[in-house]
Amino acid sequence: MGLRSAFSHFAETAAVPVFAVAGGGAREAVGRLSQSPTVELVDTPAAATILLVAGSVPPSLNPALTAVHDAMPSPRGTIHWPLGADQGELPTTPSAPPIGPSADAADAIAHVFRALLSGAVPSEQPIQPNADPNPWRGIGPYGQGGSGMTGGTPYGRPMAELAPDRDGLRLDVLPLSVGPFFPRFPVGVTLEVVMAGDVVIEGRVTDSPFIGHESSFLAGPFLRALSHPAPVAEIELARAREHLRWVSNALVTQGLPALAMRVLRLAATVTPDDATSVTALIRRVRLLRVPQWSGAGVGRLAPELLPGLGLGPVSRAAGLREDARSTDPAYLALGFEPILGHASDAAERWRLRLAEASQSLELARRAGDRRTEQTGVVESPRGRLQAHDAPFQRLQPVIPDLLAGLEWGDAVTALVSLDLDPEEAGVAAIPSARADAA
Amino acid sequence: MRDYASPPLALMTIGLVMVTGVYLIAVMDRSMATLIGGGRWTLGDSAIGPLRSAALLLVQRRRVTERPDAPAWALAPALLTGLAAVALATVPIGPDTVATDPSTGFVVFSAAIVFVMIAVFLHGWSSNSALAMHGAYRFGAQALSFQIPFLLAMLATALPAESLSIVDIVNAQESLWNVVRQPLGLPLYLVVGLAVSFWGPLNLPDASDLAGGTSVEDSGVARLLWTAARAAMLLAVAAMGAAGFLGGWWGPWLPGPAWVVVKTVALLALLLAAGHLLPRIRIQRFVVTAWVILIPLALVNIFVSAAVLL
Amino acid sequence: MSPLGPLGVTLAVFVGSLLVVLGLWITGRDKRSRSAPESVPFIGGQPPVVHAWSRYHARYYVMALVFVAFDMEMVYMYPWAVVFIREGAIAMGEMGMFIMILLLGILYAWRERAFEWA
Repeated sequence: MGLRSAFSHFAETAAVPVFAVAGGGAREAVGRLSQSPTVELVDTPAAATILLVAGSVPPSLNPALTAVHDAMPSPRGTIHWPLGADQGELPTTPSAPPIGPSADAADAIAHVFRALLSGAVPSEQPIQPNADPNPWRGIGPYGQGGSGMTGGTPYGRPMAELAPDRDGLRLDVLPLSVGPFFPRFPVGVTLEVVMAGDVVIEGRVTDSPFIGHESSFLAGPFLRALSHPAPVAEIELARAREHLRWVSNALVTQGLPALAMRVLRLAATVTPDDATSVTALIRRVRLLRVPQWSGAGVGRLAPELLPGLGLGPVSRAAGLREDARSTDPAYLALGFEPILGHASDAAERWRLRLAEASQSLELARRAGDRRTEQTGVVESPRGRLQAHDAPFQRLQPVIPDLLAGLEWGDAVTALVSLDLDPEEAGVAAIPSARADAA
Repeated sequence: MRDYASPPLALMTIGLVMVTGVYLIAVMDRSMATLIGGGRWTLGDSAIGPLRSAALLLVQRRRVTERPDAPAWALAPALLTGLAAVALATVPIGPDTVATDPSTGFVVFSAAIVFVMIAVFLHGWSSNSALAMHGAYRFGAQALSFQIPFLLAMLATALPAESLSIVDIVNAQESLWNVVRQPLGLPLYLVVGLAVSFWGPLNLPDASDLAGGTSVEDSGVARLLWTAARAAMLLAVAAMGAAGFLGGWWGPWLPGPAWVVVKTVALLALLLAAGHLLPRIRIQRFVVTAWVILIPLALVNIFVSAAVLL
Repeated sequence: MSPLGPLGVTLAVFVGSLLVVLGLWITGRDKRSRSAPESVPFIGGQPPVVHAWSRYHARYYVMALVFVAFDMEMVYMYPWAVVFIREGAIAMGEMGMFIMILLLGILYAWRERAFEWA
């Protein structure tokens, strides 16, 4: 049709809506990609044209990956971006060759997008067969199974069931499995939650799918520091960048995507001599009252639940002086003192991470050539990290108490403030041979 | 006799104003996002970019979910656009230039605002998707909370005019704009205006913590129509703010209609900037604030300006 | 001038724009996007366990009752605003008493935590 092809041609140079699945080792690269004006990362596959599978995705997530692919409206395409990892047998077939290590990802994506719209590359078919989950079995001998009762269940899926509630009313509860590709959580976080209205009745985060996944992506500086001494400057700069990236994701969760983009650009380019830009950012964020409006009193973790867990900023925001760097002579020589908070809520964790980013840049600037002197335990941006023991696994038991009774928005804020990282748990579980593959 | 245009003329002008306004909002929003995000701003990107994205949405297929309520899903953006059109129709451009000026124009405008709750709820409910439904019910709480402060804030502008007709309200500002006479009025109106058009800090139904909320299942022309309807509602809110608080067509040197445009664009810029700089408010905090702070403030506004008028 | 009058024109504008948007919506109708895997609602990748349509616990129902009371107050304030200057200070006193009683209601509801629900 003439009009449709005219629109297609006009739309070829639009910002490409991409649903990005950032698997193992890909989060930083996808963050850099999002800064390009050619590409626009979207929250839901219904808004996306291209599915980007970056890094290493565990095979247990393949059904969800298929579901996300099929949920995209046509014209749809897929692109794989290995980033040095072995992606294995992905269920999606790409519309173009995978993006190479030195290629410009935004350009490659724009190229596939143009080909899709102009018809040079056909739109992909759904991967799963067109089979009704509950096909209609017809009218039974007693007249049962009429219209709507497909497969004996109403309209193909069961209806929500009643459950008692705190205020005495018995109304329906909705069990939901949110994830593993929920846009505000990292890939692999699946939140299984039962909601009555907009309040979480019970919730838990399932185990990290990256554990047991023989991923071949590169370990970051924190994992490398587990086996041999690493330069303090490198570790602290990486820590500052991770905290700033967390701030960027938290800003998107609070509905500030433009400011989040600014912080992401800062995270990618910040250097130890550049501490003033981070202080300016902290002032701006606090001026806009972001921590207070979103997190004051939200997601409070009782300090009694936390001693000994070594959960990094989460523990320190509760006033617990737990930091693996305090036992490292290299840091003590630099005069390192952990920053502590007292109100153990989401706003305090915000403030603490911003303050620690500043502190890390300061340490990196003064560190010179020093190297860390303790191996076997490292303070990652999320907490105490050892082989086979990552903060994610220690956070999981704390989450049900945290979420019970929270309204949905507060629940998301609380979970984002915990900085869950299933990928770190997965790589920590790999024998140390992987850690020195840098 | 009250002014009104003939229906075809009214429809065409309102349609033209909405299309231009929605395009302007898209351009301004994209520009602000680029500037605040630290990217490079180019006129071409900002001016043609929204059109290209709209073309892409027209090419994309409109998908459906398993068991949606199809008539409700279709009705939602249509209803929201209709309400924005009605709201815009009551805003006058000049003393004799208005699409429709009933003697209770203010009530017609308020009725249009009230039904926004229905449109957003239909949009979230119809796709039979859990995240969308949460957005719809959240907006229920938000809508019930902003109605009274909204009506009270605007009612204060009717006091000096002794009339509920918008043209009379603007005429009463010939000597002094309402923003000066009733200083609490415009800030209150802007806050609840953000709530009505669920923009920026009050974008609770389509929130990023619900992966898009009521629009999570929208694709293609459905997404385009909903986004356009939301922008049209924001335009209507800004236009009425300009008429009710900033004096409408009154002003030196420029002709009346030009002033209306300038004031509306100024309010739009303010609302869009608030959208990019203020974080989203928690729903419970907004409900408590609306009832315990905004309503008393609006009442203080009314009674103080009433006392001054006597 | 059309015989409809200003309210009729408002209705015509409403119905007209509604029909235009409905027409645009219908142009997006497409039989091919209805296969089962393409129609699963999105909650992150997993299929939904139950239908979303349910007896949703809208916990703000108490606030809705307070809203109904205030809506009735708004009905009285519309004509009050129009005749206020003509009626003078008596009108202000009367409306003031009415508002005070209702404000006490809000204070009570706030203390009883009717506006918070989680």
